Amino acid sequence: MVTYNLKKIQLVPGAKDLIDIVLSKTQRKTPTVIHRHYAIARIRQFYMRKVKFAQQTFHDKLAQILEDFPQVDEIHPFYADLLNVLYDRDHYKLALGQVSKAKSLIDNLSKEYLRLLKYGDSLYRCKMLKRAAVGRMCTIVKRLASAFSYLEQVRQHMARLPSIDPHMRCLIIAGYPNVGKSSFMNLITRANVDVQPYPFTTKSLYVGHMDYKYLRWQVIDTPGILDKPLEERNTIEMQSITALAHLRAAVLFFLDPSEHCGYSWEQQMALLYSLEPLFVDKPVIVVCNKTDLSWSNAQRVEEELNALLDNQQEKKGTVSELETNNNKKQQRLTICGWRKMSTLEKTGVIQVRNAACDWLLSQRVESKVRGPRAQSILNRLHVAIPAGVDQNQQEAGELSLCRPFIPESVWKKRQATTTNTAFHTEEEMEREEEDENKQPKQSNVVVLEKDREMAHGGAGVYSSDWNKQYWMRDESWKYDIMPEIIQGHNIMDFVDADIDERLAALEEEEVAREAMMNVDNDEEEQQEGEQALDQETQQRLQRIREKKALLIRGRSKSRNPIGANKMTKAHPKRSEDWKQQWKELGMDESFLQSTTQQIISNRSQSREAKSHSPAPRSSSRSTSTYRWNQTKADAGKGFLNHQQKQKAMRLARKAIRGISKKDRRKGEADRTIYNENPKHLLAGKRKLGKTQRR
Amino acid sequence: MPQGDYIENHIKEHGHRLDHFERIRKREAREPHKKSQIIKRTRGLKAKLLNKQNFVDKVQQRKKVAALTQKKADKKTDQPAVQGAVPPYLLDRQATSSSKVLSNTVKEKRKEKAGKWDVPLPKVRPVADDEIFKVIYTGKRKKKQWKRMVTKVTFVGDGFTRKPPKYERFIRPMGLRFKKAHVTHPELKTTFCLDIIGVKKNPQSALYSSLGVITKGTIIEVNVSDLGLVTNTGKVVWGKYAQVTNNPENDGCINAVLLV
Repeated sequence: MVTYNLKKIQLVPGAKDLIDIVLSKTQRKTPTVIHRHYAIARIRQFYMRKVKFAQQTFHDKLAQILEDFPQVDEIHPFYADLLNVLYDRDHYKLALGQVSKAKSLIDNLSKEYLRLLKYGDSLYRCKMLKRAAVGRMCTIVKRLASAFSYLEQVRQHMARLPSIDPHMRCLIIAGYPNVGKSSFMNLITRANVDVQPYPFTTKSLYVGHMDYKYLRWQVIDTPGILDKPLEERNTIEMQSITALAHLRAAVLFFLDPSEHCGYSWEQQMALLYSLEPLFVDKPVIVVCNKTDLSWSNAQRVEEELNALLDNQQEKKGTVSELETNNNKKQQRLTICGWRKMSTLEKTGVIQVRNAACDWLLSQRVESKVRGPRAQSILNRLHVAIPAGVDQNQQEAGELSLCRPFIPESVWKKRQATTTNTAFHTEEEMEREEEDENKQPKQSNVVVLEKDREMAHGGAGVYSSDWNKQYWMRDESWKYDIMPEIIQGHNIMDFVDADIDERLAALEEEEVAREAMMNVDNDEEEQQEGEQALDQETQQRLQRIREKKALLIRGRSKSRNPIGANKMTKAHPKRSEDWKQQWKELGMDESFLQSTTQQIISNRSQSREAKSHSPAPRSSSRSTSTYRWNQTKADAGKGFLNHQQKQKAMRLARKAIRGISKKDRRKGEADRTIYNENPKHLLAGKRKLGKTQRR
Repeated sequence: MPQGDYIENHIKEHGHRLDHFERIRKREAREPHKKSQIIKRTRGLKAKLLNKQNFVDKVQQRKKVAALTQKKADKKTDQPAVQGAVPPYLLDRQATSSSKVLSNTVKEKRKEKAGKWDVPLPKVRPVADDEIFKVIYTGKRKKKQWKRMVTKVTFVGDGFTRKPPKYERFIRPMGLRFKKAHVTHPELKTTFCLDIIGVKKNPQSALYSSLGVITKGTIIEVNVSDLGLVTNTGKVVWGKYAQVTNNPENDGCINAVLLV
């Protein structure tokens, strides 16, 4: 679909502005420093670049204008004609032609001057050539001043044009001024068209959109038309004519039989007849507005419009007869229908809209079906019939491939429903329900809840009885009232369907376990019986337990200094202490002796083994430190071993040596002013800017 | 989608905001202050351009004011002047003016006579040889220096054929050959783009004339058949002399004045 971006045309600068833009851009975007003693090739290149840049910038700017503005010959004829009516096609084309010519002139000019610059033998000559080149470009652009100002005005107006899609489903509202076109438009769309009680309130085309039959429709409100020859029509009227001429749409021709618009019925009808050539291939609906006012000539209106309707039928019937009456305009005009309406009282508005839309839609569909595209698709379509199916076979009642299989019972049921009449009255319904309650199996007819609802007054009045459908073990439970929440507890949280089974299972398990326990207890008792403790041992055991309890308590109070002391006491280092402690705990003297001896000997052996080992000293030392480290190094602090940590701390201390305590807190990420007295801010002449920012 | 005169419609429906006109008045009152700020802040080329524009505006304004006051003054002194009532201090002015007119006409006549032999640019800047010719080093070792390239604009006739390039002493580059000149008719005050027929005389030297070098002050012959000039005898003039008034090598075009 073609859409024209009339709204996105870029601003057209004035000639003077364009020159300023290009020259300052050239100045900004090309190098500016050149000296006499530079190599001549460099000087030439410097100036050639400037000329080329200026030319390119002019070229781009002009090309942008040419690209933005639509070409009258290329756009949809509706838009082409609208542009002609509004802006004068010749003027428009001339302006664009001038711009295009200027563009090519500038291109040629720069080519010429670049050629001359190649022979430049001094900075002065190159500079003068560049100056002449840019100057001449500016002169060319300066001559475009009037074209630019015209194009800018056109651009501003174009941006305000309604965006009418010429290919869309469309209704055009036409008629004499002040017959209620805009008020109709306001009623059926959301467009806010100005409505005033004087003619020619609407001075341009307005577009609104609406939905009908899930389709989007475009409604175009046109300015009023007077019955004049085409040449005498002014710009406002010509816009309506353009829309009528070029858009394939349903035409709603508005008439005011009350003649309150200031034009007589005859005048209005004359306009309708005179516009006839524009109505070819369009559904025309004549709308008689203002039924709220009294029509003096109601009888005549109906007659005339009905005559037009008959016209159409005649036309369909005999074409030759029509040709004989060709000289009479009235005979040629055909309308789809006519409607009465009042926009003031809002009566008949929707009917008019729907009728127009329907006619247009049917016409569009018809034309589409008749069109070559539809034919090409229809040619490709093929309806396949299964090979085995034969007309005779079907008549004979044999099983065909086409017929679906319906079970006997279903078939019968279906037959029954079709024969039985639907429920109409409440009494019938109730009777049926009673029957159903008594002997539900006997009745073949299924009474749906929906039927019941319909019989009892429809949705909202009758509410269906869902409890009836419940599946309960006991039928009488169906209507039991079961609260959802009791005393703030959700009932469903406490519902457990198989609680009895689970309880039984649990109890069984319990019994089994108890049996097991009894067996175990028996065994223990036997053991205890075998080695029963004497008095002394039991006392010791008691003391051990007390001590243990004390220790546990002490550990829990590890923060308490007293508790901590006790802890340290609880871990004596020397063997004597161990002995003392164990003696206190009631260990056997001889056992103690032997165990301590063993421990000491083990230790000394290991030491001796190390001292006598052939490994070098360093290795033994490293192993020892390793063990020590394991206990003392801070795990998870990022150090491999203690030495590394020590070294890191040393380095850290060294790094902050000589830095004041306040500064030590500063990190790398903190804001710093590296240079508090920057020279470029404080020294030199002050021209532009401030001390803080230059 | 805005359509038509939506702004105007809105104003028509809802009117302006309450302080609209007050705001406009204030904006207008603020205008000179803003302008002065801009003038203060702009620097460099922009300032120069702005200054120039302001100057032009101011001149226009003054002229306008002057015209208005003049009108008023004229209206005030709209008394009928008495015929022949001239104050004594103006009496002899009349006489001098008449004599002046006379002398002026005499001068003009003399000028006209002299003008026949005069050209618009009687004096030209002497141009040295090495400015016009660029030495081309030739030979296998690039040490021969007899070849020259003309660095000024030249005119080369249609029928010109080059000598064998090896022996050509003066090279006239294609890029600097011109065929057309913008010729101004001094009486009609209009300019035409005319074909050049030939170089009549280059005041610098005869050599340049023969080479067709065109510099400022050169007399060229142009084809004026398009202008439709007619001689006294009724023949159509097709060739006429014109003097070049600009430096074509610097301007990229030849401007000339027709010698009538």
